[in-house]
Amino acid sequence: MSITSLHADTAAGPVAPPGADGAATGPASPGSRGAAGAGENNGGRGRPWFIALIALAVIAALGAAIARGYYRDGPLEPDAPTGQGAKAVVQVLGDHGVEVTTQRHTEDAADALAQGRTVLVTAPSSLTATQITALADALEAGSGRLVLVQPDFVTLSYLTPLISPSGAVRSETALEAEAECGDTAHQARRLQLPDPEESLAGAATLYRTSAEADGCFSTPEGSLVAQHDRLLVLGSPDLLTNDGVAGADNSALALNALGATGELTWYVPSATDPMSSGSQSLASHLPPWTGPLALWLIVVALAGLLVAGRRFGPVVVEPLPVTVRPQELVLGRARLLQQTHQREAAAGALRAAACSRLADHLGLRRESRLDALIAALEPHVGATASQLRTLLGPGPVTTDQDLLQLAQDLDRLEKEIDR
Amino acid sequence: MRISLTVRGALLGLLGLPFLVLWPTWWMPLVLLGVWAAILLADALLAPHPRRITVRREAPVQVRLGNSISGRLLLVNRSGRLARLEVRDAWNPTAGLAEQRTALQVPSGERRAIPQRFTPTRRGEHSSRALLIASRGPLGLARRTGPAEAPGRMLALHPFGARRHLPSRVQKLREIEGLAAIHQRGQGTEFDSLRDFVDGDDVRSIDWRATARRRSVVVRTWRPERDRHVLIVVDTSRTSAARLGDGTRLDAAFDSALLLTALASQAGDRVDLLCIDRIPHVSVLGTTRTTVLNQMVSATADVQPAMVETDWELTATTIAERARRGSLVVLLTPVEGSVVHTGLLPVAARVAKDHPLVVSSISDPALESYASGRGDLETVYRAAAAEQARGERDGVVRALERVGAHVVDAPPDRAPQALADSYLALKAAGRL
Repeated sequence: MSITSLHADTAAGPVAPPGADGAATGPASPGSRGAAGAGENNGGRGRPWFIALIALAVIAALGAAIARGYYRDGPLEPDAPTGQGAKAVVQVLGDHGVEVTTQRHTEDAADALAQGRTVLVTAPSSLTATQITALADALEAGSGRLVLVQPDFVTLSYLTPLISPSGAVRSETALEAEAECGDTAHQARRLQLPDPEESLAGAATLYRTSAEADGCFSTPEGSLVAQHDRLLVLGSPDLLTNDGVAGADNSALALNALGATGELTWYVPSATDPMSSGSQSLASHLPPWTGPLALWLIVVALAGLLVAGRRFGPVVVEPLPVTVRPQELVLGRARLLQQTHQREAAAGALRAAACSRLADHLGLRRESRLDALIAALEPHVGATASQLRTLLGPGPVTTDQDLLQLAQDLDRLEKEIDR
Repeated sequence: MRISLTVRGALLGLLGLPFLVLWPTWWMPLVLLGVWAAILLADALLAPHPRRITVRREAPVQVRLGNSISGRLLLVNRSGRLARLEVRDAWNPTAGLAEQRTALQVPSGERRAIPQRFTPTRRGEHSSRALLIASRGPLGLARRTGPAEAPGRMLALHPFGARRHLPSRVQKLREIEGLAAIHQRGQGTEFDSLRDFVDGDDVRSIDWRATARRRSVVVRTWRPERDRHVLIVVDTSRTSAARLGDGTRLDAAFDSALLLTALASQAGDRVDLLCIDRIPHVSVLGTTRTTVLNQMVSATADVQPAMVETDWELTATTIAERARRGSLVVLLTPVEGSVVHTGLLPVAARVAKDHPLVVSSISDPALESYASGRGDLETVYRAAAAEQARGERDGVVRALERVGAHVVDAPPDRAPQALADSYLALKAAGRL
């Protein structure tokens, strides 16, 4: 029926005067109600084929995921069938009766090491000092074997002083096992290393061994495989990846080194490991009442919002009467005339108005002809009949300047008669 | 009834912080929440129930728009405790209530008043939509809110700004009545009294029978006829919604109608009013001379423009029903180029056949200022368009005059006087 507003001056919408007994309904009322009803119908009915299509897409995506088999992809991930994964090695080890378990936390890996299992650390360089110390302690305490893939100097220094990195292999090479290798060669005779450009971790690392430690697959710079007591160091992750394990005797090294004890723990260091980062130590610095205090402050803040949002009684709406600007028609017509350059029409309107006012002043009838008006005007003004005729008659108006001039001339003429 | 927190009640929660620091467990917030809620509830229940506060309203009945008026709310505390109250009297915004919310304390068994001042900004009926009382507890932590029964209504009347022109017009009316002694006898005059002949009197007005009874020559005097009927018809269609200057065209039309009513009731005529667009709205019919102005002011207070076209056929039928033959019909409708298409002309011709018809049009003062605009090109084109509109209007005026209507066209500030003057002119001419 009416649009409501809280401000007195902004008003729109039809308002019937009271006493109308409801008969004077604004035209907007039934129309708007109809439109609203149509909108609801559209929303409610929806598009069944569209929903079915979405459901079908979701089912297809789920099916594809199941068919593909879920795995986590990453360097030396035991389940990943991709080039950087190590599914091949893990599967063959399993076929040979080796029990392979995957661990992602240092604590679990250290436990396994202490229990006498073989533990493979896929990325020892990413471990923190705490984690390496835990592993070193477990290695000391238990009887398990620890296999590190391309450890760096710092990592090695925690575990053994006898093995340290000494060089790198910068080209695609095959390394032969020396005769004196013995056990360290793990029955492999030749190891194939890919081009560093294509390999997983760049150039393979060579290690220098001293005293009781053994090195094998050596170049003058150092050995690719090094062993000391129950610690085995592999110089490159490519010896274990799906892509690299097939080269030369890489598989022999991998299977013999990892399957020796029959139980293997595949430790993939992860960022979510509680021992890996220092972030947990930040929270532990906070006092113990922080959590309850924050919870309580949230409760109090909610209560504050409740108070601030309280409304004392209803919002008062009021139908206001309509007001309309009546000049729009005239202004619109003026703009239309100006845009289409209707100078003649504008001049005609101004002349006609001036003529009728002049005729009133001189006591002529409004319908009297232009000649009569000019004849009556001539004695009173300082202009000739022909000048008056060009001014008041239907003469051409070619430029905007002419129109302005005409309006001013008409004004002047009327003032002269008024005087 | 609703229980709600106050700001103080929310801040009370902060007092729980030391307990949390001393006993930092996860169940401590739950304990504190329970204690907090218990304190708030106890405070709320200690507050007097809003229903125990009785409210009586002394509201103003009506006020002329533009004036202020006072009212009161009287609150009686019937509970046994001191009531700390917050009262909201929710009038519609244009009622112009200065303070909707008030905080006050009412001791037990006593009465307090809340003074209110209204300055309405809109003509029509105003009402209090809701009256709510919130009662705070003794600690001011929580409050109970409830509605109160005290309906309030107020009518904002038309300001009738034209009433300042009434004395001068009444003066003129008396002059016309006095002049009637030397008025020629004719239509629309009635016998008043006899008096002695003085030089200059019309010999035709000598009463020979009375002269025969006395020694001197006696003439009859006449005065304008009294007890004539005036029907004012106000058009409330979309054209009346036009904003002219400060108010709408309808406001100016009512101003004219009220001035004419006041003047005509002074002249001893009966005045009826009819507001019409697609249907007849308000009509004031058959009232006595002394009460007609009051009734008309009250009746027109709540009439607003409607966004419809006027049904002129219906108007003609209604006029024929309501007006006796020969009574003056005043039609308050704008005369514009467009009314030719709405069917006003034939209806005006039909009405003018039976009645003296005055069409009072309230013109747009902006049109005059546009028409006199000179200077740059835009204003000249605007002047041309305004002249065109005025030309069309003059054509309609001439057409209406041809069919026998008398047209009064004036801007809103002069329209009431112009209509009153044309009424006086009709009186003086003896046509009424």
